[in-house]
Amino acid sequence: MLDYSLLKRLCTADGISGDEGEVRELILDEIRPFADEITVDGLGNLIVFKKGKKTPEKKLLISAHMDEVGFIVTHITSDGCLKFEAVGGINDSAAFARSVKVGKNKINGVVCAKPVHLLSGDEKKKCPPIKNLLIDIGAQSREEAEKYVSPGDSVVFESIYEDKDGRIISKAIDDRFGCLVLIEMIKSELMYDTWFSFVVQEEIGLRGAKAAAFTVAPDCAVVVEATTASDVPFADGAERVCLVGNGAVVSFMDRATMYDKEYYQSALECAREQGVKVQTKTMIAGGNDAGAIHTSRGGVRTLAVSVPCRYIHSCESLAAAEDMEAVFAVVKAAAEKILSL
Amino acid sequence: MKEILKKLCIEHGISGSETEMLGTVRELIGGFTEITTDNSGNIIAVMNGKADKHIMLDAHMDRIGLTVTYINDEGFIKAEPVGGIDLRTLPGSPVRINGRETVLGIICTVPPHLSKDSEELSRDKIWIDTGLSPNRVKELISPGDAAVLCSTFKELLNDRVSVSALDNRSGCAVLIKCAQLLKDKELPCRVSFVFSSQEETGELGAGTSAFSLAPDEAIAVDVGFAAQEGVPAEKSGRLGCGAIISISPVLSKQVTEKIKDIAKRLSMECDYEVCGGSTGTNADRIAASRGGVRTGCISIPSKNMHTPTETVYLGDMEKIAGLLAVYVTEGGAENA
Repeated sequence: MLDYSLLKRLCTADGISGDEGEVRELILDEIRPFADEITVDGLGNLIVFKKGKKTPEKKLLISAHMDEVGFIVTHITSDGCLKFEAVGGINDSAAFARSVKVGKNKINGVVCAKPVHLLSGDEKKKCPPIKNLLIDIGAQSREEAEKYVSPGDSVVFESIYEDKDGRIISKAIDDRFGCLVLIEMIKSELMYDTWFSFVVQEEIGLRGAKAAAFTVAPDCAVVVEATTASDVPFADGAERVCLVGNGAVVSFMDRATMYDKEYYQSALECAREQGVKVQTKTMIAGGNDAGAIHTSRGGVRTLAVSVPCRYIHSCESLAAAEDMEAVFAVVKAAAEKILSL
Repeated sequence: MKEILKKLCIEHGISGSETEMLGTVRELIGGFTEITTDNSGNIIAVMNGKADKHIMLDAHMDRIGLTVTYINDEGFIKAEPVGGIDLRTLPGSPVRINGRETVLGIICTVPPHLSKDSEELSRDKIWIDTGLSPNRVKELISPGDAAVLCSTFKELLNDRVSVSALDNRSGCAVLIKCAQLLKDKELPCRVSFVFSSQEETGELGAGTSAFSLAPDEAIAVDVGFAAQEGVPAEKSGRLGCGAIISISPVLSKQVTEKIKDIAKRLSMECDYEVCGGSTGTNADRIAASRGGVRTGCISIPSKNMHTPTETVYLGDMEKIAGLLAVYVTEGGAENA
């Protein structure tokens, strides 16, 4: 079974795109005794080599991203409030009236909201855009606010973590879950030599993965992710994309990648052999670091295995431990299988 | 004040479920007041009950929330608002449902690939996702159970605090602080601290308690709009101004003047909320009770009202508690 107390520590660590240091330190502390080679590159990617029982002909990279979505302070108003922008794809509703933590010292802040009593009929029916929102840290002037925060400071969600009956609610399951899978593999005995990358800046354009793939120069890659499950009352049939509780998600295509067909089939076979549930997406939606990795250098054969996750990119998302176990089983098996192809 | 407020701002006690607050109120002032409850869910704490002149201090203790109406075959929970919920605060928010156990859930959002810019929020489309199996959900949760948006008590700079339910647990905290200030004093009158029910759904508790108690004078303490982005000065008071004093045709001039007079003596700056008609608070109901009750209304300036990030200044609350204590020790408004 996966180490869910470690998942909690990973998810509750803060690390928006471009500010992944806290997450990287946590991962480093976990893997140091088990890795054969560790480097941190110029962007902050953590690249790890672990020897297996055998050295394969091909070079395999398994990748997950460390960053999460959040916000960044852009300006301090004369009365001491903070203007901010989204880092990564966040809906307006995910920011409205939330509690947040600002900057290195994690100053408490709240996103302001004009009271509902004073709104016109139309204003009541829609969340205001993030660009119109302000964060209040209690400062009474720009001068006072500047003692605690600066433009460029990261803003992260205040969130709850709960594991109840194997259902996990947390921020940043995307993609601290992927990080957990990689850590568990590094801690285990591997059949083949394997490269791992914990990459930065996925949420703002797959930037870390591009650099890591260049450096490692793999022949084949597996991306471990969390992907949007839309099995909610507002969606039916194919619109649901994938379902929480229906196992590992293996994609044949998304908005960033046409996956290697043989790898896709192998992953499905692995799931069957391991006796775990597997599903594919019922819509061509989303994208992940595979988009940067499969186009790296002269091309990389790539597979993505994801945990289905509802309300991704919000202050709270929801996933099931049984699906996480299924992803772990498929990734472990597929990593060996694709090296033997 | 901070510690009182922390204890009161619990994720319980939406309109109609106020008895969940009884333990907390008892803990805070049960030692030196006589506490009773009534048929409407009000909690009433009395000091110096034998005196003739009777002053009622009111703060509603109910908070806005949601109520479970239906559970579907997949275990998703349909809910409807209780009180003036701001629909904009709902999508993707964590909620606690007070069922057989307290269960954490998330308000369902329309997935990004299906949402359209024209999509409107609606009180008829509120679904809660607990992620638990349908059987487990039905075992733990039933129609009628209350749910509230999760919110933890947060301290901002300059003694500002933020948490949901400051409307009107901050008013309750002011009453409790006032009672503590009066604890060992000899009082010229009887005081009833009324923690009233169902303000958010129509000021029920204020009406029934004012009828039963039949006070000579009353002051309602609630939250009022504080100036912030989008809320102009003429519609608000400043956070940190001390108190927002209501001036309205439905309120007693004597009581209002007495409040203003004490504020002046305490060097409180105060802002005014002048209403052409009723105040939109419990004061309206109390003033019209029985043969009429001389009533005043004081508000604590609050930002982001009816959201999980409601924000008040502890200093304003301290000052209002002090003002009320003077009002009581001086026996209320003159010539009453």
